[in-house]
Amino acid sequence: MIKHYIKIAFRNLAQQKVLSGINIFGLSVGIACFSLFLLYAVHECSYDRFHINAGRIYRIVEWWQGGKREPGGYPWAYTPVAPAMKRDFPDVEYAVRLKGSDCFVKADNKVFHTSITYADTAFFHVFTFPLVYGNTQTALQQPNQVVITKEKALQYFGTANVVGKTVELKTDTAFELFTISGVAEDIPANSSVKFNLLGSFEHITNDAMVQQSNSNWYMTIGMQAYVLLKPGSRLASEPNRLDLFRRKYYPDDYKPKNNPSKEEEVQASFRLQPIRDIHMNPTIEGGNDPKHIWLLITLAGAVLLIACINFTTLAIGRSAGRAKEIGVRKVMGSQRKQLISQFLAESFLLSVFSAVTGLLLASLLLPLFNQLADRELSFSLSRFPELVWLLIGLTILVGLLAGSYPALVLSSFKPIEVLKKKLHVGGSNLFTRSLVTLQFVLSIGLIISTIIMLQQLAFMRMKNIGLNKENLVMINTGHIDKKIYPLYKQAVQHNAGISGVTASEMGLGEGEGQMGAGFRDYKGDLQGVIEYPGDYNYLNTMGMTLIAGRNFNPAISSDTTDAVVVNEALVQTLLGTTPEKAIGTQLVNAKGNQGTKTIIGVTRNFNFEDLSQKVRPQLFYRPAALQPSRIFVRLQAGEPGSKLALLSNTWKKLVPDAPFEYSFVDEKFDNFYKNETRWSSIAGWAGGISIFLACLGLFGLAALAAVNRTKEIGIRKVLGATVIQVAGLLSKDFVKLITAALLIATPLAWYFMHNWLQSYAWRINIAWWVFALTGGFAILVAVTTVSVQAIKAAMANPVKALRNE
Amino acid sequence: MIKIRDLEKIYRTEEVETVALNKISIDVKEGEFVAIMGPSGCGKSTLLNILGLLDDPDNGSFLFNNIEVANFNERKRADLRKHNIGFVFQSFNLIDELTVFENVELPLIYTGVKSGDRKKRVEEVLDKMQIMHRRNHYPQQLSGGQQQRVAVARAVVNNPKLILADEPTGNLDSSNGNEVMTLLTDLNEQGTTIIMVTHSEHDARYSHRIIRMLDGQTVLENIMV
Repeated sequence: MIKHYIKIAFRNLAQQKVLSGINIFGLSVGIACFSLFLLYAVHECSYDRFHINAGRIYRIVEWWQGGKREPGGYPWAYTPVAPAMKRDFPDVEYAVRLKGSDCFVKADNKVFHTSITYADTAFFHVFTFPLVYGNTQTALQQPNQVVITKEKALQYFGTANVVGKTVELKTDTAFELFTISGVAEDIPANSSVKFNLLGSFEHITNDAMVQQSNSNWYMTIGMQAYVLLKPGSRLASEPNRLDLFRRKYYPDDYKPKNNPSKEEEVQASFRLQPIRDIHMNPTIEGGNDPKHIWLLITLAGAVLLIACINFTTLAIGRSAGRAKEIGVRKVMGSQRKQLISQFLAESFLLSVFSAVTGLLLASLLLPLFNQLADRELSFSLSRFPELVWLLIGLTILVGLLAGSYPALVLSSFKPIEVLKKKLHVGGSNLFTRSLVTLQFVLSIGLIISTIIMLQQLAFMRMKNIGLNKENLVMINTGHIDKKIYPLYKQAVQHNAGISGVTASEMGLGEGEGQMGAGFRDYKGDLQGVIEYPGDYNYLNTMGMTLIAGRNFNPAISSDTTDAVVVNEALVQTLLGTTPEKAIGTQLVNAKGNQGTKTIIGVTRNFNFEDLSQKVRPQLFYRPAALQPSRIFVRLQAGEPGSKLALLSNTWKKLVPDAPFEYSFVDEKFDNFYKNETRWSSIAGWAGGISIFLACLGLFGLAALAAVNRTKEIGIRKVLGATVIQVAGLLSKDFVKLITAALLIATPLAWYFMHNWLQSYAWRINIAWWVFALTGGFAILVAVTTVSVQAIKAAMANPVKALRNE
Repeated sequence: MIKIRDLEKIYRTEEVETVALNKISIDVKEGEFVAIMGPSGCGKSTLLNILGLLDDPDNGSFLFNNIEVANFNERKRADLRKHNIGFVFQSFNLIDELTVFENVELPLIYTGVKSGDRKKRVEEVLDKMQIMHRRNHYPQQLSGGQQQRVAVARAVVNNPKLILADEPTGNLDSSNGNEVMTLLTDLNEQGTTIIMVTHSEHDARYSHRIIRMLDGQTVLENIMV
């Protein structure tokens, strides 16, 4: 019986080439999209599962709750906590601290900029990072040993086996010699713990900052700590034991307070976070929100649903053509369930074909998708064995989703009605029309959303953020002798094409970090203020606008001691006054003291963060001993090539042992919107594919409508209808559906995008023309698609149509 | 074999009620060849559909081999049909997507006959109908006469006790029509009961008995000598 079903299914596929093509192509595209998004989701959920002891590895986090703050955790461990846990809890088999830092590497007389992670010797007992060369037992035993990844070994030495070779590393002011003790396999993309170079924690134990943090249980220096619990330990789910531990080392936190303020009611505790939870837990700083994955799966599901709807509507549309077969089968004794099985077999066969084609398509599209998703995914069944079951499940689901309704409808035909030709089925029943409308609701909704996202993105990129970010080069001067800056400035600033050089201890744009301090506002409340220590000409070179007071002046000695220029937000938030009146005001520091910072000028607000944030209070000052970490060079407009060459050559002359690393500030600001860019691209692709698939379905339906209405068309033509009238007759119904879809999609898209825009402090207004444009586009595409079939039907010889009847 | 009593079938629309069968009573014995005649709309096809368990009556009794089948559900009807009844239609009703062999094989698939037996039986019947040489052709590649021979082959392949033929020669020329009637007569002589609806007096003469209908009732019965 099964053989018979499959044989018939093959024949039907072969006989209805256009419809089969539409179905297989549509479902393949749907499955390809879904597989890619599924791969992304599986990858995101697979983080850190590759460690052999993954079930027993936990990260130490500090959890805060109470007061006005949202409950949440921080992964920054205090230096002495991990060793104390190892000492106090017999459940802790190993504890390991990780401290990252950027550094220069001198290898084979070349200098590279990278990062180094210092780890306790237990590192390889806790984590599974196999070494290609070297021994995990001894790799971190000496303070000047370093483990290097295979990728970095190849980059620095051109070969992987570099154990025993030496490199010079500079993390502070001077290069130090290290011996390579191991070469690690490249770190999997789905690892939360990453390193390029791995040094021994012992190397930094004498560092002043580390020593200070070792004795100060409240000081964090950007360190993370992990523990490996012994098998069977329940420490992670025993908050009481962790609470006792906290009481032991933080007794002050538990002393009764007199009249505690809201802020003091905040309670901190230690928690152990499973390593597999790190990547996808947004309540701990740095964790991702899983809702993005669901959004992706929803988008992919929408595309797949559109493809499945094509199958369903086309199968129903074709039902008139299959009615006789069904009738005869029933007369011959077929039961309904046998017919359902037969039709489902056809949809499963199609689904299997589409799955194979879809997976091939997905493999081809993977590089593009990786670019879009900013990931390095691969269809590796060994890394993601669950993919096998998920893909089989997907194939079955598609078969069921696409084939169920037609199977139920077709198998319900009464043989007597079929054989008497009394049955009226086809592409125009209410269910089919609803499905087509749903397809276009989804497609139109996605296109409207994409346009609004792109508009917001363009708005954020183009908005005047309060500084001139164009033609501004930012050079990294971390770990460079501070005397270099004046020399470099001197050498560069008077050259053609250079209009200004300045420096700051802080960078600008995405990933540059911030520093700040607390000040009391005029009500006495504590307010955070972001600080920018820069050179005298910082504000001018940046193109910021001074709206009151004056700029820093090298001739005034007090400008390097207590003078600050502040932004409008600071004046408004801290002082509650006007910029003019703010001049001369002394800021009150967190301890309530005045006199250390006097306002000499007020600038317009500048958006130093992305535009989802309001501008926070900000101050600029000129430290007496400026220690720049970034030099900014303002280029004159035009081709930057020769100017960059000048900057690079000058750098090489002055700083031969450090690479020339630069970036354009406008690009650094654009990088704030990487997520928005990614999401608008993904939504755009999904929207484009959706409308394409929906039109493909429409093309098939129009063809079927023309076939099902052959007699009507023939009669109308005999009675004098023109080609345009007949084409209009067929197109009219579809245009009605698209219009209905537009009416449904418009408020839905408006609602979702209005909510989305609320997360931006600076945002666009949704314009009516976006809906009109999308609607017009959808109708145009649909009419064009349908017209091809309609005109073909209208131009056919009516005599032939009537003779057939 | 067939005993129907006071059978009624009424078709209703919002405004009109049409009585297709009006308390009709008929007996057909095993081995009989009965022709049903009458003008268009007299209810003969409705009667044939009820006899073939494709449609159900509104009232009355229908005994098939002494079993009351008037109230059978779809599953039971399908089961009885596939084991006992073969159909021959005016418009052949062959499945275009299946070859001659596969069309004839179809009833055997639904009765669960094993593949080897199916092949043997289909080949036997195709041979008997003299269309073996066309076994791998599709219906649209055959002449009308050949298509009807395939339809007859399909109707008999399961060795049904009863064959219901609805104007089996209606779409055929006289030569092909005679061939089909000869086939049916041969089958009847081998013991198969045949009930045939026809407009053709010529074809009706092949039967043992002619039932004439008008307005949903039997008006006359002719015994053929």
